[in-house]
Amino acid sequence: MTDRRAQGEVTATEDGRLAIPAMLNGRQTTLVARPWHTLLETLRDQEGLYGVREGCGVGMCGACTVMLDGEPVSSCLVLAPQVAGREIRTVEGLAAPDGTLSDLQQAFIDHTAFQCSYCTSGFLITAERLAEEHPDASREEIRHYLAGNLCRCGSYVKILDAVADLLERRRAGRTAD
Amino acid sequence: MSGVVKGLPGTWADTHRGTAQPGQPGMMDARDRVTGKVDYVINMTLPGMLHAMVLRSTAPAARIVRIDTEKARQVPGVVTVLTGRDIVSRTDVRSHFGPVFRDQPVLAVDRVRFVGEAVVAVAAVDRDAARAALDLVEVEYEELPPVFTFDEALAEDAALVHPEPPRAGATFADIIVHSQAGSNVCNSFTLRKGNIDEGFAQADHVFEDTFTCPAVQHVPLETHCTVADARTSDIVVHTTSQIPFMVRSQLAEVFNLPASRVRVVVHTLGGGYGGKCYPNTEPLTAMLSFVSGRPVKLHLTREEEFTAITRHAMRITLKTGLRADGKVIARKSTCHFNTGAYADIGPRLIKMGGIGTGGPMSIPHVWIDSYAVYTNLPPAGAYRGYGVSQAAWAYETQIEMIAQRLGRDPYELRKKNLLVNGETNATGEIMDDSHWHELLDEVAGKIGWTWPQVPQRIGNKVRAKGLSCIIKGTVTPSASTSMVKMNEDGSLNVMTSSVEMGQGLQTAMAILAAERLSMPVGKVLVSTPDTAFTPYDQQTSSSRSTHSMGMAVTRACGGIADQLLAQASEALEIAVADLELRDGKVQAKGAPDKSVGYAALVQRQKGGNLLATGEYITGGGLDPVTGQGKAAVHWHQAAGAAEVEVDLETGKVDVIAYEAAVYAGRVVNPVQAELQAEGNLAFGLGHALFEEMVYDNGQLQNGNLGDYMICSFEDMPERVGVSTLEEPVLNEIHGIGETGLPPVMPAIGNAVFHATGVRITDAPITAEKVLRGLRQLETARLAAAAVMAAAGTGTAR
Repeated sequence: MTDRRAQGEVTATEDGRLAIPAMLNGRQTTLVARPWHTLLETLRDQEGLYGVREGCGVGMCGACTVMLDGEPVSSCLVLAPQVAGREIRTVEGLAAPDGTLSDLQQAFIDHTAFQCSYCTSGFLITAERLAEEHPDASREEIRHYLAGNLCRCGSYVKILDAVADLLERRRAGRTAD
Repeated sequence: MSGVVKGLPGTWADTHRGTAQPGQPGMMDARDRVTGKVDYVINMTLPGMLHAMVLRSTAPAARIVRIDTEKARQVPGVVTVLTGRDIVSRTDVRSHFGPVFRDQPVLAVDRVRFVGEAVVAVAAVDRDAARAALDLVEVEYEELPPVFTFDEALAEDAALVHPEPPRAGATFADIIVHSQAGSNVCNSFTLRKGNIDEGFAQADHVFEDTFTCPAVQHVPLETHCTVADARTSDIVVHTTSQIPFMVRSQLAEVFNLPASRVRVVVHTLGGGYGGKCYPNTEPLTAMLSFVSGRPVKLHLTREEEFTAITRHAMRITLKTGLRADGKVIARKSTCHFNTGAYADIGPRLIKMGGIGTGGPMSIPHVWIDSYAVYTNLPPAGAYRGYGVSQAAWAYETQIEMIAQRLGRDPYELRKKNLLVNGETNATGEIMDDSHWHELLDEVAGKIGWTWPQVPQRIGNKVRAKGLSCIIKGTVTPSASTSMVKMNEDGSLNVMTSSVEMGQGLQTAMAILAAERLSMPVGKVLVSTPDTAFTPYDQQTSSSRSTHSMGMAVTRACGGIADQLLAQASEALEIAVADLELRDGKVQAKGAPDKSVGYAALVQRQKGGNLLATGEYITGGGLDPVTGQGKAAVHWHQAAGAAEVEVDLETGKVDVIAYEAAVYAGRVVNPVQAELQAEGNLAFGLGHALFEEMVYDNGQLQNGNLGDYMICSFEDMPERVGVSTLEEPVLNEIHGIGETGLPPVMPAIGNAVFHATGVRITDAPITAEKVLRGLRQLETARLAAAAVMAAAGTGTAR
């Protein structure tokens, strides 16, 4: 059993649900879900990761975005069994284990890049990947990259400032090294 | 305020600070907001909690012939299956609710009135069981003739949405009820200022135009959610509400309980925008808990949210008379607001929307008829802008159409008419804090307004600019109360029932409290509402909280200040008049070495904490026939200017720059003020260009975020400017939560006209409509050229 889970294999529990081994925010865990349960509801209901939030249920708003093997995905469109043996990172995994916020989170605070904040987790995950993938992105490229995340309060101007500022800070850091 | 302040100019606030200032945070709980820790109601679970799901009507108007819930009840895990008949047959509860008319059933009783109405509810141990049970419920309908449009609903022989006149309940002081029994008119509002016939008789020009706006939805990313616990003889409800005390009074009525035994707890909201004002998911969730004896959670899906509450579709006809010099002297407006199947707050909204059509002008002769009309569509209620967005779309579009017809600069035509101190608005109130000229000048200057607007052509695209300027009231009379306690360490708890929904309410209140008591903001904690513990606030809407609750909190803190001064006077043996509050201490004026800290003063008083309350209550009201009186304790003022780029091949409109100017009186939190203005732009841009609820036989066709577009990152203009006007002498806080919204739609529409010559009067300004308009212009041009050629007078171009 342990071996099979270590290999990322889905097994059945005694009550007929599925045991799904996965790496979650840096620790090995076993998600338990019915075959039709989404990753979104499994992370919330079972793992208490309430930073992952449903906005539309059809992959359009980005509020439920999590990192799956390093790529942002809408967790409302991923079925829990699909993450077997894979690595998931949520907003709860962005800060350092000692609670120190990431430079991205700090940039959002510095620019007050949120209002109701329901969408913020999704923006942070997408922006984190943007910063890795396109460290030199222009403001126009940032807008385009983040277009899959919706903010109904309309904090876009501040989010753009925050992400542009983050890239700037990271570039300055690289130059200093 | 009095005439003494006439002509006082404002000063432009420095809101462009970029980052939050030390000691003045953008948001007090910013850390929780970037770590996923905000405690929305959707996160809540209680031991033994059931999950509710709702079967909704598939017919817009029908008699319920039969409901069979037998199979659903057999599904393992299902605890309660409830119908409207089950509720009506009980003697211990009431079956209907509604903030003005008790016209909405908790679950449909014998009849459905819109597609999406709740018919059967299931509470089960998990969502899987609830979903399975819903699939097994059978409902048989006998369809009735529906009414959807104003013409259908107001026809002589129209089918009535409510054949029995709905029961009116105790309601707000400012609501005037004029319903018309035997018709689908839910309520009407009239305003009569001057003599309209005389006004038109004196006019040199009279123009009549009709404008429409479709229904749109609030689309808060957090949909409505309620967790109700009615296991004991009390009812506790955790819910997504902007008006917890209204939810409390309605639940008290439904369950025949004293208000004290209904506890409504509100967490931080994931957006509201007016959509979470009046009871919605609360009566049903509480009923399921009451019947099942278990805590119950109901969290609407996105599809359900779309039909839970909407913004009124509207049709406004404006007849406007001007003198030859451009002065508007008469206006008659006929406003129809589609309030859907249930009144919600429509009966009040038509008042503010109707008054709104008077615009920011001093018109001596005004006649306004405004109607809320029942139809077989989802209910419409409060929505950011509160009817004024629709009104402004009408009057700020018409003023430009008039300018075009008269060959005048629309900026100058507005300047000729904008309110100044000493003049009266539509409700006859004498203006004493007018800033419309400054606001319009600011946006016109920043966008670079010139006349005539010569479209700038770049390839197949054209660019031009447009303006708008608006007036909006705030609910009056109204009341806010607060309670504060200073603790033994000198820290402060502020208890209010104002709702944090992203607008930074808690932070603004903390700033005001800290300012009044000269202490660090970080030592102030502002509560969320809990009707069992926090004092009354009328509503977190109408852009009123920073003003109203701000006053209540400041006054309560004044009570604490008095106690601190009295204690310090005894301790220091210095007269109160010679003492001042400074940085957490009471000190002698001019002798800071003689001081004593707040902590020591609280301990000296020996009461454990210092307690004080504060209240802010405004008065006013309108004559029920003439609509003259006091509609708003003060008037919200804003202007907007847009620059658009229109693709002549596709008709697609891009807003490339927007300048917003709002009168804030006094800015409490600069970054939040800017966010409100930017958010209003994002909201209004969607309404201007693509947001529309599309129905087919009452069935919503685009009730999901794949088909219903809201403003995304790429829709936002590259250039966004926000100017916030302060007035340091009066130093009175004006609400800005909605103020910047109504200018957006007309500013964009006016810019599209100047770019293309295409005038759209039915929002939204979709690419299809612009393209059709361009083709009509081209056809007309060719036809004119042909006529000229035939007459032998034309010269080919």
